[in-house]
Amino acid sequence: MIRLYLRMALKSLGQNPGLTAIMVATVALGIAACVTVITMFHAMSADPIWWKSDRLYAVTLDSWDVNEPPDAARPHLPPPRLTYRDAMHLLESNIPERKTVMYVARTSILSNADRPPIAAEARFTRGDFFPMFDVPFQYGGSWSVADDTNAAPVIVLSKEVNETLFGGDNSVGRIVRWNDREFRIVGVLDTWEPQPKFYDLNRGHFEMPEGAYIPFRWGPQNKVTSASGRCWKPEPLDSYEDILGSECTWQQMWVELPDAATRERMQDLLDTYTTEQRKSGRFQRPQNNRLTNVPQWLIDQGVVQNDNRVLVGLAFAFLAVCLLNVVGLLLAKFLNAAKTIGIRRALGARKGQIFAQYFVEAAVVSTLGAALGLALGALSLKGLSIMYTVDEATRGGYRELLHFDVSSVVVAIALAAVATVVGGFYPAWRAARLPPAVYLKSQ
Amino acid sequence: MIEMRNINKVYRSELVETRALRELSQQVGAGEFVAITGPSGSGKTTLLNIVGLLETFDSGSLHFDGEDVSRLSDDARSRLRNEKIGFIFQSFNLIPDLSIYDNVDVPLCYRGMKAGERHRRITSALELVGLGSRMRHLPSQLSGGQQQRAAIARAIAGDPKLLLADEPTGNLDSVMAGQVLDLLQQINQSGTAIVMVTHDPHLAARAQRSVHVVDGQIAPEESGTLRAPAALAMPEARARETR
Amino acid sequence: MSGNIRQVVSALRHNRIGALLVAMQIAITLAVLVNAVFIVKQRMERTSRPTGFDVENVIAIASAGFAQDFDYVTTLREDLAYLRSLPGVIAATASNSVPLGGGVGVMASLAARPNAEVHSLPGGYFEVDEQGIDALGVRLVAGRGFEQSEVEPPADSITARMPKQIIITQAFADELFPNENALGKTVYDSVDTPVTVIGIIEHMQAASADVAYVDRVSLVPRQPSSVPKNFYLVRTEPQQRDVVMRMVEGRMSTSNPDRMISWVRSLEEVRRRAYLADRNMGIFLVTITALLLTLTALSLFGLATFNVNARTKQIGTRRALGARRGDIVRYFLLENWLISTIGVVLGCVLTLAASYWLTRKYGLPRLDLIYLAGGVVGLWVLGQIAAWQPARAAAQVPPAVATRRIA
Repeated sequence: MIRLYLRMALKSLGQNPGLTAIMVATVALGIAACVTVITMFHAMSADPIWWKSDRLYAVTLDSWDVNEPPDAARPHLPPPRLTYRDAMHLLESNIPERKTVMYVARTSILSNADRPPIAAEARFTRGDFFPMFDVPFQYGGSWSVADDTNAAPVIVLSKEVNETLFGGDNSVGRIVRWNDREFRIVGVLDTWEPQPKFYDLNRGHFEMPEGAYIPFRWGPQNKVTSASGRCWKPEPLDSYEDILGSECTWQQMWVELPDAATRERMQDLLDTYTTEQRKSGRFQRPQNNRLTNVPQWLIDQGVVQNDNRVLVGLAFAFLAVCLLNVVGLLLAKFLNAAKTIGIRRALGARKGQIFAQYFVEAAVVSTLGAALGLALGALSLKGLSIMYTVDEATRGGYRELLHFDVSSVVVAIALAAVATVVGGFYPAWRAARLPPAVYLKSQ
Repeated sequence: MIEMRNINKVYRSELVETRALRELSQQVGAGEFVAITGPSGSGKTTLLNIVGLLETFDSGSLHFDGEDVSRLSDDARSRLRNEKIGFIFQSFNLIPDLSIYDNVDVPLCYRGMKAGERHRRITSALELVGLGSRMRHLPSQLSGGQQQRAAIARAIAGDPKLLLADEPTGNLDSVMAGQVLDLLQQINQSGTAIVMVTHDPHLAARAQRSVHVVDGQIAPEESGTLRAPAALAMPEARARETR
Repeated sequence: MSGNIRQVVSALRHNRIGALLVAMQIAITLAVLVNAVFIVKQRMERTSRPTGFDVENVIAIASAGFAQDFDYVTTLREDLAYLRSLPGVIAATASNSVPLGGGVGVMASLAARPNAEVHSLPGGYFEVDEQGIDALGVRLVAGRGFEQSEVEPPADSITARMPKQIIITQAFADELFPNENALGKTVYDSVDTPVTVIGIIEHMQAASADVAYVDRVSLVPRQPSSVPKNFYLVRTEPQQRDVVMRMVEGRMSTSNPDRMISWVRSLEEVRRRAYLADRNMGIFLVTITALLLTLTALSLFGLATFNVNARTKQIGTRRALGARRGDIVRYFLLENWLISTIGVVLGCVLTLAASYWLTRKYGLPRLDLIYLAGGVVGLWVLGQIAAWQPARAAAQVPPAVATRRIA
């Protein structure tokens, strides 16, 4: 039976190629707009390390100015980074299974004797960084705890940097110059592109990870300054030591807590520490110490832009108009066929059969529309990534972000189903309800 | 009242040229009731369309009420139709989305009449045709005969000098057809000229005069043969229909 | 006419779903159109704010020294000498930051009195030399520019004390000293260093386009620090910019092996990047709105065409009953107008709801009702245009259709 309906639907659609094309194109436009925007939205708000979401926490303390919040737009949040001295104190705790404090160097140039130097960012962090965030290695591995303690001049390179400087060879054990100082390579990362870049959202949400990683202690020992940070207190900051002892926040801290109990103990530690510090005149704002998991962290740090939320609303409004349009066209088409329907009814077709026949026709339109919509969506994502590409040379940003995945296809299929039901049900129902006799009369 | 002289009408399509009317001349006097008969495709409807200013013709002349209407603009022809001519169609041509009342209102609206005057005319026309109690009904809620009576009300509400009827009983059974014809005669007796197209000679017999059209021309031998008084012709026609 | 409207309304009531579908499309289209135009206009206002500096003729160069024995001071001197020697160059300065170049970090707070007494105001902070004003192409409205002797060497720390002289924008001056002339006054930095205002420039935008205080800028006489990189701002004669850019790119990228030229850009390009998101949002909104308007117009056109085709016999009948061609055109335009009107009435409600949501949730300014009025009129006109051709086609239906046997 369904094959008969399909054949009749295709025939009916073929008889009116112009109208069919308009309907399919309309459905396709609506679905393309939705798939594009939803893919974008999904990519932005996705949790890139969902399998560890219940274990990873960003640590923040509200050490800010008593008179004003660090971010007027989100006054309930503490600053996203810690002061150096708070970070150092918390690092001593052995409650977390893994822990790291980290920052990115202000200047970072890597060079290898025989090749031109390249600018690639360097992160000062602890060896825990790699197992904590499940960072994959192509060659070698993380440095040892002893290297952390001794501030050893060792380095881990990204796959990309290794390709530029060493032609992609296994460079473990070789020497690379960072800011003209010698470092021994202990590991080379495999492809690793968490999107969004959840562990550091301070300078762009969709940047690529850094090109080099160096044991944390080496940085402060060699007076390496941070690429980002914020200060609030009017205090002299003339020397590097001034900065280390200041209220400036520039250390990012992440901990891995295996269960709720350790999480509670960690929270207690934070609260005890700030209560203690309060006595010496610091932490004058209401106590606001937070352990934030990755999904919440992405929300707090405003990864999904308001513009994108508006666009999602817009896309659905657009889809609604497209569907209304198709419903109108199908309705007109079906009611125009009143005479044929009357004859069919007179020849013995039941209401249900008439309904099924026209519903299948609507479904064919929606399915074609969804297929075309997916293709259009892929095109428009391509267009988007070009629009958002700042320049050709830099990687990162939206360019890597916007591509189709399984979820886009699922969204398209779901939308097509909705389009069929919403767009086809009413017209088919109306067609089935036409009284058989009236339209058989001459007028 | 109507004077047609040497009217020619040719329909041209890409393949064929059909001469619908050839050198046709005919007069209709005020208050006359003329039937036009003839086989299918003889040009009856074309003749009616031309008299009713629905169509133009290729050569010849047409005078309506002493005025030459051969070269009138489309708008002027619309105006004449609206004010002096009423139409009754085989398939009634009531507007399905409008009530009977609103259907009768259509030509009066186009005349730009005041609302009170329109209301008076609509109700009296509908009462005349016996539909005073069904003014708010939609056409689909009425029987065929009632629909045609509503159409007649619409045609006469504007007080036309000429009523054109195109197979007015073609879609009706004989009882309803008789009622419609009675109504037409009643209207004719109050002074409105009627030109009625029909293929049925017995219906034509009820007109004062019958014109037979064959091949776009008026057949001379039949012209005027059925000039028997309507009252005489009627019983015979009825007898045959009910047999 | 009143009878006419009644007839149209009556016909619509019998096709109400079809009409309602189109009316809902119009409603949504109006809501999107009005809010989109409003947002786009705001973005355009934002991106076309006057910059105060010479956008067309200034080149920015980013230079990062990295070698262990990098001689920064010599490099600065040689680079500036080279840049100033180029034909077509009006002036060149070294700087710590590029206007509209991004980064909220390059800022400094100023206060009219020591910090204990008043709250300080944050603003953009630019370290320039004696050619700074000319190199930026900003207009000095009071006081004087910096002397060569006033320009200090690079500072070592992140937040060094300010030099003794400062030039500020008029906007900054007005906020620090309302109703007073700021020239010659003393201002205080975040560690209460007293600084004298020696000049006021008419206007200049800071490094970040996104902050509320984009118009508050201070210029100080100092060479920029070498970390993470320093910049050069070079202003050229009109038409000479691209030639100079090519020369600079060719020469400076190889002249000194101890440093890297990260990029060379015109300030036009810098500004384009600063407003990329606004531009893209604008493109999105305009595209979607244009598509919506097209779709809606097609719908109205389709509905009118369908109605005309379905009512050929009726049109013929009306013509036979005395309707002129104009009456038929008017009938269909009136029908379209009624549908549009239902649509825009629904649309007004929807527009205001959407606008309320945007205001509540995303802090957009309240919708100016003139936009709504414009949208309503626009959609009315669009509807009439869309229905014009079908209405004309209807008027061409010959009255003889009324007597045709097969319809």
